[in-house]
Amino acid sequence: MRPWPSLYLIVLKQLLFLALYWVAALQPLPGSAADQLTGKLVISGSSTIAPIVSEIGKRFESLHPGVRIDVQTGGSSRGVADARQGLADIGMVSRAIKDEEKDLHAFPVARDGVGIILHKENPVQTITDEQVIAIYTGTVTNWKQVGGKDAAITVVNKAEGRSTLEVFLQHFKLNNRDIKAQVVIGDNEQGVKTVAGNRSAIGYVSIGTAEYDESQGVPIKLLSVGGVAASTKTVQNGTFPLSRPLYIVTRTPPIGLAKAFIDFAQSKAVHDIIKQQYFVPLGD
Amino acid sequence: MIETPNQSWNLREWLAFASVWGAAVLVTVTFCWLLGDIIWHGLSHISWTFLTAPPENAGRRGGIGPILVSTGLILGVCLAVSLPLGVGTAVLLAEFTSDTNLFGRLTRRSLDVLAGVPSIVFGLFGNAFFCKTLGLGFSILSGGLTLACMVLPILIRSTEEGFRAVPDNYRLSAAALGLSRTATLVHLLLPAAVPGLLVGLVLGVGRAIAETAALIFTSGYVDRMPESLLDSGRALSIHIFDLSMNVSGGDANAYASALVLVIMLLIINGTASWLATHSLHRKIVTV
Repeated sequence: MRPWPSLYLIVLKQLLFLALYWVAALQPLPGSAADQLTGKLVISGSSTIAPIVSEIGKRFESLHPGVRIDVQTGGSSRGVADARQGLADIGMVSRAIKDEEKDLHAFPVARDGVGIILHKENPVQTITDEQVIAIYTGTVTNWKQVGGKDAAITVVNKAEGRSTLEVFLQHFKLNNRDIKAQVVIGDNEQGVKTVAGNRSAIGYVSIGTAEYDESQGVPIKLLSVGGVAASTKTVQNGTFPLSRPLYIVTRTPPIGLAKAFIDFAQSKAVHDIIKQQYFVPLGD
Repeated sequence: MIETPNQSWNLREWLAFASVWGAAVLVTVTFCWLLGDIIWHGLSHISWTFLTAPPENAGRRGGIGPILVSTGLILGVCLAVSLPLGVGTAVLLAEFTSDTNLFGRLTRRSLDVLAGVPSIVFGLFGNAFFCKTLGLGFSILSGGLTLACMVLPILIRSTEEGFRAVPDNYRLSAAALGLSRTATLVHLLLPAAVPGLLVGLVLGVGRAIAETAALIFTSGYVDRMPESLLDSGRALSIHIFDLSMNVSGGDANAYASALVLVIMLLIINGTASWLATHSLHRKIVTV
């Protein structure tokens, strides 16, 4: 084991890299010479957006070989905090920007719908907003009260800080303290797995994830909300009520590499990546 | 008259027998089921390309090449830091402080508390200290150092036990022969304590290699091939977690990655137990 010489080498390398980075940052980049881009962008935040931005980053890296895009995860709140503190150049936020976050510059890259899911064998076909509220606040605890079989309802809720939770609470005008949940989960796939494994569970997850899993034969079904079917199509045309924008945010107006990357992430050139990750591209 | 107590004794014996066997079978069946499930779902996806290629489409396709390299580097940093520190502290605790020494007792108590701290706490500490205060950022170095903090308590305590298991006769004989304390330590006690050290190492490495919570905030999420220890690199366990919980359609590769992780653990455990018997033989020869 000779860790020290190599460690010095790495520190030296990093210092050199920092110096180069500073020189690069001091010189304003000419907009036309796009392949002159060099440097490293650190992006952190929402775990929902992380796989999309990772893939966009890889394509960007292949177009600009001198560029490194490092994507980290940890949730939307962390994206906001890291972008504010300068720990990350760009933050990822998978919900609407709050009033106290208006100091950040936000750029939408895609949309996502939040759909309510049941086990495929659950006979309940539709459910009203009032029934959803009653189930989640614990006033309705058995499926037969909303036209189903005689079985206790397992309420699956999302963990605090998850953007799908905020979208859900906002639409149904609920307070997280009032929700009586039997299961609290984190990521979308975990929600799908929980509901697929429990015939009397109700949960809510990203529609893109649910649609994909449904097509793969996972025993879940998406319910329509307010009479609008839950699908990526209704999310894209804006008719589905429970949807959220996926943003990337910066503390200062983006320049140079950050601007080039944000422009690329908002362009049509990445729509196939967004669809591949089961989210909905903007515009179109 | 003799029949009745004999029968009840038989029944009690039978119950004890059944429950002991039942417990053993239950544990074995659970383990085999888990292993079987991972092998059943994962084996068909494992190939040389899978082990060397970079992940594609958020890990649904492609392999785990860069992730294996990152995992190895994180583990390497962790061991390079924790082994010397761990053995040093264990020597101090076992050989140079008495059981009643206040400093020794405080150190032991705090190590026991640290050994039970949830890994996410180590992750947040590592993020605050190594990434931010020391400015290492999201890097393999930060991740390895955080894991070293996590592994140290286990390593120190079991190495200390290893030293304590060496009979005092060894030390007395060495002193009687006029060996210095350092010579006794290097030539006699250290080889004799190796089995304890290896137990700690296996437990520590097992905990470190399966770690997600402590690494997601320190070594990070980047699945590119690392170019230096200051690059962010995704560990295998984080890759499995992300594929199974965050990426729709990532299950197949998650199973394959889990199988690779299990095989790595088995290899590490096998090597350690081989080393343990090997070093035991040497110890007998030395003494």
